[in-house]
Amino acid sequence: MNMRVIGAFAQKDIVDAIRNRYLLGALVTPLFVAILLRVLLPGISTMNFTVVVHDPGNSRLSTELRAVPQMKVITAASAEVVANELEKAKAVGGLAIPGNFDADVATRKQPELVIYVNNKQNDFEQVMFRQLVERQFSAVMKEHLPARLTWIDVNKQADVPNSALNLNQMMLPLLLLLTFAMTGALVVPLLLVEEKEKRTLDFLLTSPASLGEIIAGKALTGVVYSFLIAGLLLALNSRLIGDWPLTLLTVLLGILFLVAVGLFMGSLFQNTMQVNTWAGLILFVLLAPSFPSFRLPEIVDRVLVFVPTHYFVEALRLASSETPSARIWGHLAVLLASTVIAFAAAIWGLRRQQN
Amino acid sequence: MKAIEVEGLSRTFNSRRAVDDISFTVEAGEIFGFLGHNGAGKTTSIRMLTGQLRPTAGHARVAGCDVVTEQRRLKPLIGVVSENQNLYERMSARENLRFAARLYGTDTKQIDEALDQVGLLDRAGDNVQQYSNGMKQRLLIARSLLHHPQIIFLDEPTKGLDPIVGRDIRRLVQDLSREGITVFLTTHYMEEADQLCSRVAFISAGRIVALDTPDNLKVAHGEKSLQVRLNDGQRLNIPLDGQGSGEQIKQLVASGQIRTLHSAEATLEEVFIQMTGRKLSE
Repeated sequence: MNMRVIGAFAQKDIVDAIRNRYLLGALVTPLFVAILLRVLLPGISTMNFTVVVHDPGNSRLSTELRAVPQMKVITAASAEVVANELEKAKAVGGLAIPGNFDADVATRKQPELVIYVNNKQNDFEQVMFRQLVERQFSAVMKEHLPARLTWIDVNKQADVPNSALNLNQMMLPLLLLLTFAMTGALVVPLLLVEEKEKRTLDFLLTSPASLGEIIAGKALTGVVYSFLIAGLLLALNSRLIGDWPLTLLTVLLGILFLVAVGLFMGSLFQNTMQVNTWAGLILFVLLAPSFPSFRLPEIVDRVLVFVPTHYFVEALRLASSETPSARIWGHLAVLLASTVIAFAAAIWGLRRQQN
Repeated sequence: MKAIEVEGLSRTFNSRRAVDDISFTVEAGEIFGFLGHNGAGKTTSIRMLTGQLRPTAGHARVAGCDVVTEQRRLKPLIGVVSENQNLYERMSARENLRFAARLYGTDTKQIDEALDQVGLLDRAGDNVQQYSNGMKQRLLIARSLLHHPQIIFLDEPTKGLDPIVGRDIRRLVQDLSREGITVFLTTHYMEEADQLCSRVAFISAGRIVALDTPDNLKVAHGEKSLQVRLNDGQRLNIPLDGQGSGEQIKQLVASGQIRTLHSAEATLEEVFIQMTGRKLSE
């Protein structure tokens, strides 16, 4: 492998991608989506929540929550049964409010307010429930720390660090995967296919550049752009990162996998129209594991296990914890193996065409 | 010294033989014409000789390198001008050549020299998509010469160009030959091949059906005749086949009716039609 040649390819394609409006659009889409989500998501208030409440003292907080249109409130007989009631009622959350809550708040005794979150409900509902409760709580009380909030996860799965889940944390895997998919599985194949379409690949094949160097040059372009945009997204969400080295390793493997997928697509397809026709479906499948789980049928979850990006999302979630579980290495191993297979498939595809 | 040596070269796609057992040699510094219809096997042959395609059978050495096993050594020694103007259109001419120079490890200082050689130095910063076909063709030639190859493959270099640009490119090809560069040329224009090439090969259905100098081919396969125009405007074509033609000419001269009289040789195109059964442009 000649690094001068690989560098020449990467430099050409990095500049060329910016000059091509279509490719530039694909590159900035994840950033645009990130901004859009930040603007739009806090305003989403159309979801309905079922909440179990034990409130013997008929507190102001409970009254205000009942007044929220999206809330369906089920009354629990005691604080002890709130957690059990969540499962039965398929409620997203529950509140155990002490009997003398309003009086204790008034006398600044900071009573304990226990809030249960049902982790069996979908991630998005959980996040919206947390935000809604916090908003209502601060709106009703209008005082600084009037009570001690205790959040309890119910039905929590092992190794899933969702106790501190918030909207950004949920969206980060989606945005990163979108970045890698747009760059790796769309820009990279388009760069390769354009070489075929415009017959510049014929020139490259008569030059001293080997097929491996051509592939490496394209891959480097995809990696550089993916890292630039991912770096920006990670920097904006740096407080969500627990273990930086593992997060970066996960990101690197995710980028390499999607770039390899892009090269394979580029080796199979002959023109831009073919890439555009298939890219939508391929991107949907690759992105699917990062979608917030909206009560999908179990069969879908089972199928998603066969999509390698599932392991990227799982590894990234584990890496967001400061002490990630050892399971992360299994996920990374699957991602690495998938990357090697995809690279081999890309080289096979290009060699097949050459001969 | 042989620049190109081809022996029994064949290439099959599925069951179709695109190139079928061709053999020839090209001397160093020669302009060699490779003529055939569309689909006759010209481009497949060039792709095999330039290392883009693996032959199914046979051997070829280009610039002393085996085209299959010595591609790394071969590629810096050849330049290729494809008939598809395969340039990076969003890049300028200078950027195209800079990229090529980096691939070949050539000094980028030679870029302006190459652009000047083909008369594009003053438009070097313009994007290629703003170029005319003739300018693109000249840039392709500049790119193929940038690394000073021993052999240059020109695939239809004047196709679709206006006569003046075509003439400029033909001059450039002659200059290259004078500098000792071997030129392997395919063209649809028989006059161009006749004018430029020291030898031509006719390829039809993947096989070489004739290979010689244009003059020899015309003499061997053409029909010599005299074209006579009489005072009354009548035109006569008298074949010089020795069967009474001498007597007929003698009578015409004696009658004093001849206004003009020319010898007429077969053209390369006529020889081509005779050998392959079709015109080259069909």
